[in-house]
This record gives sequence, structure tokens and C-alpha cells, in this order.
Amino acid sequence: MRRRDVLAGIGSLSVIGTAGALAIRGPPSFDGTDDPKNSNGSASTATDPITIETVDAPGSEAGEVRVPAPDRATFVDFFGTWCPPCIEQMPALAEANDRIGDDVLFLSATSEAVGSSVSEKELVGWWDEHGGNWLLGLDPTAELTARYLAGGYPSAVVIDADGRVQWSDSGVKTADELVAGIERAIEAEADA
Amino acid sequence: MNRRLYLRSLTASSVAATAGCLDVLSLEGSDDGLVLEPPENDLSEATHPSYGDEFLATSVPDPLTGETVSTDQFEGERAMLVTFFYTSCPDGVCPALILRLRRAQEVAAQEGYGDDAAFLAMTFDPERDTEDALRTYAGQQGVDLEAGNWHFLRPERYEDAKSIVDGRYGLPIEKRDADEYENLEYMFPHFSYIFLVNERGLVERVYPDGATIATSKVVEDFETVVTA
Repeated sequence: MRRRDVLAGIGSLSVIGTAGALAIRGPPSFDGTDDPKNSNGSASTATDPITIETVDAPGSEAGEVRVPAPDRATFVDFFGTWCPPCIEQMPALAEANDRIGDDVLFLSATSEAVGSSVSEKELVGWWDEHGGNWLLGLDPTAELTARYLAGGYPSAVVIDADGRVQWSDSGVKTADELVAGIERAIEAEADA
Repeated sequence: MNRRLYLRSLTASSVAATAGCLDVLSLEGSDDGLVLEPPENDLSEATHPSYGDEFLATSVPDPLTGETVSTDQFEGERAMLVTFFYTSCPDGVCPALILRLRRAQEVAAQEGYGDDAAFLAMTFDPERDTEDALRTYAGQQGVDLEAGNWHFLRPERYEDAKSIVDGRYGLPIEKRDADEYENLEYMFPHFSYIFLVNERGLVERVYPDGATIATSKVVEDFETVVTA
């Protein structure tokens, strides 16, 4: 992610950090905030796949997918219909999907309470309105989100077929950044 | 240090002396009242409560249940995860904090210890975080309000929140204009901490990087403490 966004992301912290550094003694509190490995912890090693329900929406059909996919790299965008930057992220996701989506399992997933706080119809409406045209998944128990979310929303992760996180980042990303992250996983596979 | 080890050896001898204490001891493993081992990062010099400290009691209204929740009312009954946030948080840090509590709540339900757990999320933005706003936010973040173990805490005024978060728990906070965000008038630079407090009211873990620490780590630590 762009450095500027990292700073914006923890900006709320680092601003106070100057004052807080004096007030809060002990080791620095924000080490590794922009280090995806740090946020993933055990997720960077192979873990059991999670079954995600997908919904009937533009570019998506009702069914199930395994994340990570067993036979190719998996890209997941974590979003919420409540999250304005997630709307901002959609055009770059669409472009990345056009460019490289056929080479990976390309998925957006939300952990919000679909069926109570937002209906599936509203979710699909949001999806359609903002140009979603790829697989749309639900993470009602937040298991997937908890494993791979890299900071705030939106957040993206690329996992290779062996379950290793090859790239993850939070904040709004460009299509180039998304594609580069995905290519990293594809190259890792080619090398393996 | 070895206060803990010291106490533990005391424990061992008192076990030998008074077998009647065994059932009490078996609850927690050692008699300093803590379940987890000391953390790698020693935060004991920090201004906020840390490992082994009593988590000071605070009473704050939960606008969704209509009750006033005191952080010590769960003593003897529930271990807690506690965090501080606001729903207008522009950078995703607060949803990341809430996600960790929410995931722990989910796992607690799945594993059957939901009634031994409490999840407290205190807003420091009562002006915007009304009852309705908090209810909506719960849905957006997938929080289960029906489980009976989740409480949004809402002090009456920002000043009250500040005196609790900063004054009581040692986490500086400020309120300032949010010029860099189009749709936000003001924001709150804040620390993204999560506290894990055992059922005796003692701090088992402090997660200073609460928005980025592996959720599985928080969930596992919490489960260890709750099920001890």
C-alpha cells in the first residue's frame, strides 16, 4: 500500500504518539502496524481451507468455494457495504479482475451480518451499483476475515495454492498494486 | 522477575499443607490468580494496566440494554475482552479492534463458553455513537447482540470518556478536527488497545497492537483464560 495510506491509517495513532510516547512508557506500541506478516501471524503458513458461501450477484453465482483454492492462487478483497473506502476500491478491483482474474480465484468477501443488518438484496444492490462483477462471498462467522484481514477495510490478501500468504495490504489500493500482489503469488507457484 | 515463581512455590507448599485448598487451586493453576504466563513484552512500566494488575472498575451505561455496566460486575463469572473505539473511526482501526472481540464471541458461542465471557466495547464519541448508531454498527461488524455477553459502553459525554480512557486506563486520547477526511468533522486520535481480563478482574494480557495482532492469538489467549 502507499506509504501515505499507512501513515493515514495509523495517523490517528502517530499524531498522538508524540504525546503518548511520553505518557505511555514501555516498548513502542505500534511496531509492525504496516507489516502484513505481523497482522497475519500464523496465517502466513499453510492452514486448513475455509469454505465460503457465495451469493447470486453480477459476476457471482450461489455456491461454495474453498479459500485458499487447492489448485491456484486466491485473491480476497475484504469489504463492507458500510465502508465508504470500500466503494472507492471497487474500480481498481474491477480492473485487476479484468487483467488477471482468470488466473486466480478472485473473490470479495464481507463479514457483516447479511440477513439482519443488511439484506442479501441490499448487498447485491450495492455490489451491482459499484460495478462488482466477480465472485461475492459471505463470511458470517468472520473466520476468513479474522485470519487474513490486514488492518482496516478494505483489505486484500493473496494466498498461494499451498496456503501461504504472498501479499496482503489494507487501505485503498491501485489496480497495479493489486495485480502486482497477485503476480507475486503466481510467480511463487511457478518457482515451487 | 520472580514474584510469580515465588508465589507458585508457596502454592506448592500450601498444597502439601492443606489439601482442602486443592479445589480452589485447580481452578487457576497457581494462586497469583493468573492463567497465562507473563508476556514477552513487559509493559509493567506503562501508564495503563498490564499483566497481573487489577483492571480498575468503571461504571458506564450500555444504551442497548438500558443497564449500567460496571467492569467489575463480571468478577467470579466471566472473563472479559475490553476495547475502546468509535463508530466514525475513519481509518479502519476500530472495525479491526471490534473484529477481534467479535471473532472471540463467535468462537465462544461455538465452543460453548459464551456465558463465561463478556465483551466490552466502549465508545469515546457519545455524541455520534447514539443507541441507534451502535445498533447499526453491531450489525455491520457482525456482533451478536442477542448472545447476552456483548456490551457497548457509552459514557454521557466525551469528557467522561476521556477521563476513563486516559485518566483511569492510562491511554491518552484527544479530539481534533478531521480536516483530512471529507465527511468527518472531528476525530479522535487514540490507542488501539485490547485488554484481556480474567474472571478475578486481573489483566492477563494487554494487546497494544490490538488492530493488527493476529486474531487467532487473541482468541486462543482468551479461550485459555476462560476455560482455565
